[in-house]
Amino acid sequence: MKKSSILGLVVIATAIAVIISLYSKASTYSSFSDAKKTESELRVIGKLDKQKELYYDAAKDANYFSFYVKDNKGEECKVVFAGTKPQDFEHSEQIVLTGQMIGNEFHASHILTKCPSKYTPDKIDVTAAKAKSANI
Amino acid sequence: MDKAFQGEHLLPGHLGQAFVILSFGAALLSTISYYFATTNTNKLDNSWLRMARLAFYANSISILGVVVCLFYVIYNHYFEYHYVWSYTSRSLPVYYIVSGFWNGQEGGFLLWTFWQAVLGNILIRRAKSWEKPVMTVVSLSQLWLASMLIGIQFLGARIGSSPFLLLRNSGIDAPILSQLDYLSFIKDGQGMNPLLQNYWMVIHPPTLFLGLASVVVPFSYAIAGLWQKRYKEWIAQAIPYALFAAMILGTGVIMGSLWAYESLSFGGFWAWDPVENASIFPWLIVLGGLHVLIVFKNTGHSYFTGTMLILLSFVMVLYTSFLSRSGILGETSVHSFTDLGMFWQLVSYIVVFLGISVWLLIARWKELPITKKDEETYSREFWMFVGAIFLGLSCFHLVLVTSIPVWNAIFGTKVAPPTDLVGHYNVIQASFAMVITILTGFTQFLKYKKTDITRFFITTGLYLLCAALITIPVVYATGLYKLHFVFTLVMLGSIYSILANGKVLADALKGKFKLAGSAVAHIGFGLMLIGALIAAGTRGVVSKNEQGTIAVSGFDKSSGIGDARENVMIYKNEPVKMGDYTVTYLGDSVAAPKRYFRVDYKRYDNDGKIAEEFVLRPNVLTNPQAGSEPSPVPDTKHFLLHDLYTHITALPVAKQPTSSESEEAAAHGESDDKNYDPPVAHQIAVGDTIRFREGFIVVKALVREKTLQNIPLTDSDYAFGAKLEVVSNGKTYQAEPVYMIKGKNAFDFARTVDDAGLKLMLTKIIPDKNKVEITVYQQPENKKPWIVMRALDFPYINFLWAGTVIMIIGFLLAIFRRNKELKTT
Repeated sequence: MKKSSILGLVVIATAIAVIISLYSKASTYSSFSDAKKTESELRVIGKLDKQKELYYDAAKDANYFSFYVKDNKGEECKVVFAGTKPQDFEHSEQIVLTGQMIGNEFHASHILTKCPSKYTPDKIDVTAAKAKSANI
Repeated sequence: MDKAFQGEHLLPGHLGQAFVILSFGAALLSTISYYFATTNTNKLDNSWLRMARLAFYANSISILGVVVCLFYVIYNHYFEYHYVWSYTSRSLPVYYIVSGFWNGQEGGFLLWTFWQAVLGNILIRRAKSWEKPVMTVVSLSQLWLASMLIGIQFLGARIGSSPFLLLRNSGIDAPILSQLDYLSFIKDGQGMNPLLQNYWMVIHPPTLFLGLASVVVPFSYAIAGLWQKRYKEWIAQAIPYALFAAMILGTGVIMGSLWAYESLSFGGFWAWDPVENASIFPWLIVLGGLHVLIVFKNTGHSYFTGTMLILLSFVMVLYTSFLSRSGILGETSVHSFTDLGMFWQLVSYIVVFLGISVWLLIARWKELPITKKDEETYSREFWMFVGAIFLGLSCFHLVLVTSIPVWNAIFGTKVAPPTDLVGHYNVIQASFAMVITILTGFTQFLKYKKTDITRFFITTGLYLLCAALITIPVVYATGLYKLHFVFTLVMLGSIYSILANGKVLADALKGKFKLAGSAVAHIGFGLMLIGALIAAGTRGVVSKNEQGTIAVSGFDKSSGIGDARENVMIYKNEPVKMGDYTVTYLGDSVAAPKRYFRVDYKRYDNDGKIAEEFVLRPNVLTNPQAGSEPSPVPDTKHFLLHDLYTHITALPVAKQPTSSESEEAAAHGESDDKNYDPPVAHQIAVGDTIRFREGFIVVKALVREKTLQNIPLTDSDYAFGAKLEVVSNGKTYQAEPVYMIKGKNAFDFARTVDDAGLKLMLTKIIPDKNKVEITVYQQPENKKPWIVMRALDFPYINFLWAGTVIMIIGFLLAIFRRNKELKTT
């Protein structure tokens, strides 16, 4: 057998190994009800419930932040994050949580917030500019 | 007829737009002319070539025109232009106005096409017989980039996005924009995102875009070689350009990571974010391709792989641009880029260039100089080839995982990336890095074509043994051994690579100086990996209120948004012990738009003396937009062997009253008692001491005041001041509350000591007991100024930066060598 064929086999084997390792670890975007059924970590996409309290009291625990998220199926759940409140969290349009259910709370190890307004603030600021002009 | 809007400056925009169209037309003409110049069989007919060059010059000049017009409208704050309004404001300093230029995607494309034009002009001068086919490809790429800037409606679809789009045409939903005098209401632009207001914003994008643009040159040579059937000749020509592309692209990527480390607060220099990953796809591929080209040049082996990798490297540049600009990464990346609705246009760029590459490879397949003979096992070319393949595999893995949103879009699936994404990348990429570093090591002991086997095994074994002997203490001293075993192996590989290449360098200095380039670059690469490995792997969390730093368990596992359980709340002037340091929050100061927090670090030696003291000034940037929270910016103390990194993660929600405000409130007699705990009255004599939570107060003296601010005092009035010395947390403050009897009324004037969180009053004088009554108001813990901060220790991170610089030097040496070879042959 030629060395290049051996190398080719090694390459294919590595590629397959990489794909399998990804496939075995890849998750799907799920809901809170899925999270309640399993003990493993998964990802949930949802929206922040802005009506309910965002709790962060640095004096009590600087590493405890809790809030309520409504997932894409409409189910709401309390989420706990062992850290500080991410910047502009209240303005987020979408939240991707990674974590697991512990009791009735979803313990997030990772929060990804999407605040498109931060980079495309078009609408917000024209109204702000208008408000200013009204004062003049 | 159009309504006449007042105060608009339409001329520079019209001019700029005309230049955009002209650059597109010129690129089209240049592509066609270069194509016919290439295919023209009449060697004496230079008309196509002349026309092609003129068209390319016209393209270059119109790009300059666009640049000047855009800069003109930005510099003059013409907010009628959407781009100017979106990315700049009047308060921006000039150097940020320059970078406002490439803040938006249109500016990014402009920068890219600008560099490509510069490279094209260099090629026209230097490429000689290669000019016609190579420039055909470069012009075609220019054509696509120009189309990205056109911004016109064509058959119902918008082609490109123009930087000269007017605000009122930008589709912003605001009735005010239809008023004729709308500009008088738009006084200022949105301004630049404060996080981008950093000197890196001035130098990082131009470098990165030069890197991305320069990949087109080796690609064009490869296409030209296949097209013109000059299969072997193009390779020697392309090597210096491939080296240049790899050097600049690598520099640009590391600059980005240094930027993130210095001024963004995710707590590190690399986060495996999709946009970061995308930036190294082309780098890995061009690096792999470069090595295989060198193999082919020396031995004639591996032609197909080298060509394919070089072709792929440019396709990767286009794919990177697609990933970061199309908005497809929405659910996986923290970098939000505006989706300009050019999804299919970006796809077309990839498809066309990929299509040309694949078609040429298939069409020329039978003629390609592919060797049938196998390489020797003990030859340098074989193992260099293997190394390049592993660089490709490393890229394959990154592409596979980073593109999950793309697979979801294509196959309609809903796959999410692994929950422990960082760990997944770290372990798999480290495995590739281990193989690659070991290969960069022992390949140095092999010769092209054939090597003496016994000698090879002895030297390789000897160096491997030395590397192992060095690795063992290193991994124990740094704590790297506690992590996944593969990281120890990468360390071994890197040290081995540095030793082996060090030997080559030593030989090179003795005479064979032309070999120094690769040795230096490999040493730099090894140092980079060592620095990255130790700094990221054994990053210590200082902001834990406990002794010692520990290895981060999160290096193997996802460490959350970045600050899980790593925050500490500290009150002003209350020292807190963190690791080796005693940390005190001293106070804050405002220099708009920044608010600085002074955090003092002290380290005591065994005798209790201060061995080291420094103050870090992490700050928060106020966002100009309403309702937006300030963005934290870290501050880092750099030592030779480690860095201490600190940033603010939370602040009191309500604004803390500044000391002048509270004094004023006190002077006006307004009750701010609700800010304090219930008062405690102490009846004591002069010289006595009052204790409170963080210290004590000594009554030094009781003096009769002659004057009291603006209150007229008569002889029948009495005003007494109690001179108090307040010692809080080891610091001493003076305060003098006053008690006044005027007429039949008694008044007391409180004094506050903000730093100690105290309000002190002299509430009674008891002459018969020779005592006074001092009432102490103390702020409860949560009313005192505080910050929540996170402090990290990055050991040996300087290896990463130093390694980068060394690698760049290595690339430069290699470029000089290859250029010289071109001239001599």
